[in-house]
Amino acid sequence: MKTLVLVAHPHLADSSSQQFLKESLPATGIDWEWLDGQQAIDVDREQTKLRQADRVILQFPLYWFAAPASLKQWEDTVLTRKFVYGDHRYPLADKELGVVVTTGMPGKAFQRGGAEGITLDAALAPLAAVTQRAKMTWLPTLAIHQFGYLNESEKLQLVIRYQRYLTQAQPDSLTSRQTWFAERLPGMIDRLPADQQAKGKLIASVFEQKSADLDQLADTLALIKEQSDD
Amino acid sequence: MTENAAWLNEQIDQLAQQQAKFTDRAFWLALKQLIAEQDRRADQLGGEVDGRTWSPDQW
Repeated sequence: MKTLVLVAHPHLADSSSQQFLKESLPATGIDWEWLDGQQAIDVDREQTKLRQADRVILQFPLYWFAAPASLKQWEDTVLTRKFVYGDHRYPLADKELGVVVTTGMPGKAFQRGGAEGITLDAALAPLAAVTQRAKMTWLPTLAIHQFGYLNESEKLQLVIRYQRYLTQAQPDSLTSRQTWFAERLPGMIDRLPADQQAKGKLIASVFEQKSADLDQLADTLALIKEQSDD
Repeated sequence: MTENAAWLNEQIDQLAQQQAKFTDRAFWLALKQLIAEQDRRADQLGGEVDGRTWSPDQW
């Protein structure tokens, strides 16, 4: 899977959350681009990148319930009517679009009656409408609230949540999660120092056995359900 | 938590602690969480299989 990550942030170097996410990027399959860092937008180049991607991630801090201006400028310049749908070819159709948004307020603020009084889905509605117009698939948003307050354990979890959001098959089911880990385990074991590889392989084998056992249980249950429906 | 699960968690924790890179440590710890999720799902599915197999409706 090829994932294009478009980051909109006027002060990237000063953002601890954006630096953290950059360090957390998966090793392969990612085309990372900082929109504010470009002198001028090369429309052909951007449209080619979009055509080549399977998944497009828009990543930004929430400024006044919207993305920073650089993302709107990119949209208005790159997503021309003709490119998106004007000639009825829909080159972005069936690609996935996901938003990684950071907020300074806690998650509970983003609901009716909450401090912000608006849900993130409502705030991001214009982006969702563009996605629909392009016949793309909108992914459930990955919201990162109050990054600065996360403890070490929460940050460790965020690394993998973010990596999975960029590269894991949807929907985010247990089966999808198992497949994502199974695909990466051999590479992760190879990276281990020689004296740790046996332990890595042992853990992997237990994980694989549990995956197989679950498949078997699900099959058995499906069979029982099928029979009881007669 | 069963004895086996506790032992496996210990193995993963040890391996994770030995990783110098933050993202590598994150991977192994996330795998530990996924395995816990597998165990929960297996319990639930196993319970459902038992329940449906022993349903008086089916006698």
